[in-house]
Amino acid sequence: MRSEQEANRAIERYADTVRRICMIHLKNHADTEDIFQNVFLKYVLSTAVFENEEHEKAWFIRVTINACRDLLKSFFRSRTVSLDTLLDQPAELTQEDHTVLEAVLALPPKYRDVVYLHYYEGYTAPQIGQILKKNVNTIYTLLNRAKQALKETLGGEYDA
Amino acid sequence: MRDELKTALDKVTADNALKESTRAFLTRQTHDYGAAKARPRAARRLAAAFACLALMVTGGTGYWVYFSPTCAVSIDINPSVELAVNRFDKVISVDGIGEDGDALAESLDVRFLSYADALDRLLQNPTVENYLAQDEVLSIAVAGDDQGQTDAILAQSETCTADTQNVYCHAASAEEIEQAHEAGLSFGKYQAFLELQSLDPSVAPEDVQGLTMREIRDRIAALSGDPESVPGGHGYGAGNGNGQGNGMGQGAGTGQGTGHGAGNGSGQGNGMGYGAGNGNGGGKGQKSAQ
Repeated sequence: MRSEQEANRAIERYADTVRRICMIHLKNHADTEDIFQNVFLKYVLSTAVFENEEHEKAWFIRVTINACRDLLKSFFRSRTVSLDTLLDQPAELTQEDHTVLEAVLALPPKYRDVVYLHYYEGYTAPQIGQILKKNVNTIYTLLNRAKQALKETLGGEYDA
Repeated sequence: MRDELKTALDKVTADNALKESTRAFLTRQTHDYGAAKARPRAARRLAAAFACLALMVTGGTGYWVYFSPTCAVSIDINPSVELAVNRFDKVISVDGIGEDGDALAESLDVRFLSYADALDRLLQNPTVENYLAQDEVLSIAVAGDDQGQTDAILAQSETCTADTQNVYCHAASAEEIEQAHEAGLSFGKYQAFLELQSLDPSVAPEDVQGLTMREIRDRIAALSGDPESVPGGHGYGAGNGNGQGNGMGQGAGTGQGTGHGAGNGSGQGNGMGYGAGNGNGGGKGQKSAQ
């Protein structure tokens, strides 16, 4: 079990990451709060030893994605995310931001993870494969299809 | 695409309310990190195990230290008892040898007393006093590996018995004590037996088992022909007996001067071997005459 200092440090460092993953999966604030509590409690109780910060961050990403999936599975929720969630967000989101995020949220969940990990976190396909525990080729396929879908939604101007 | 997504997602952050509620939740769930501040469970269990082990080892060692005898004090009159003394000079057990020895050991309540107190009590014991009053010989043998302690106990024994007649104190080794036990004798008696055996090689341990220390001493005195070796040193009457040519009933000896006549009568049956008894009788006679 970790100390309060460690827990606070982790919250400061990874809260945003966890929040973003929640955003692309969940549709309301209560669920997000659930995931937060779930993930950070897991961290406090975990005895895992992290070699470095990257390792620790990957751990948080994987645990958060899994927690989101479990939550969605167990509550048999609709897989779509309403715009309400986004409207929770700070007002500084521009119209353009909304458009991009909505396009991502419109993707099937398995595409969302790879899009987020690749475009936002900057992980390579093999790294994503490790985090999601999937074959690298599967990741490439998912990435390509996601790219294709986004291109269709957002038009050529958003070509990655 | 990459940049747009980055820009948009960068604006998605965890607000302070969310962080605060998470912190509060963690504090609640972990009971204020109480268990984290305490030692981890495995370590605690291990510590408990070690504490138990340490307690057992300490207790066991303490028991062993206290209850392992470092010195044996063998006390013989006719009944024989042995006191086992530990390194703290306390008597930890009293063992009788033979039936009357057991009886004496049981009547002595000296366990956990210091050996000096135990010796005092022993000398004041009615049984022992009775024997001493009958002019029996008391032998105290001290044996142990710790020379210092053995010497101290021996010195103490000598002090305790300084005003008591017919008491012999001597030191011994643990090895000798063991040999004595193998022969079925207490140590004091065994030493007397060895002395007797050196004079008469035909004597076996069984022969002296039933004898009192006085009887053994008397036989030694007779065989060595040295009346002085008889405790009390009053052997003169024996001279008379011998003069008579082996006529020696013990009864006669005790009967003072007139005893001589009677000695003659019984002398024929008994033969020379009992000459020693004779001498003794004579001694008593003289003593009472004084």
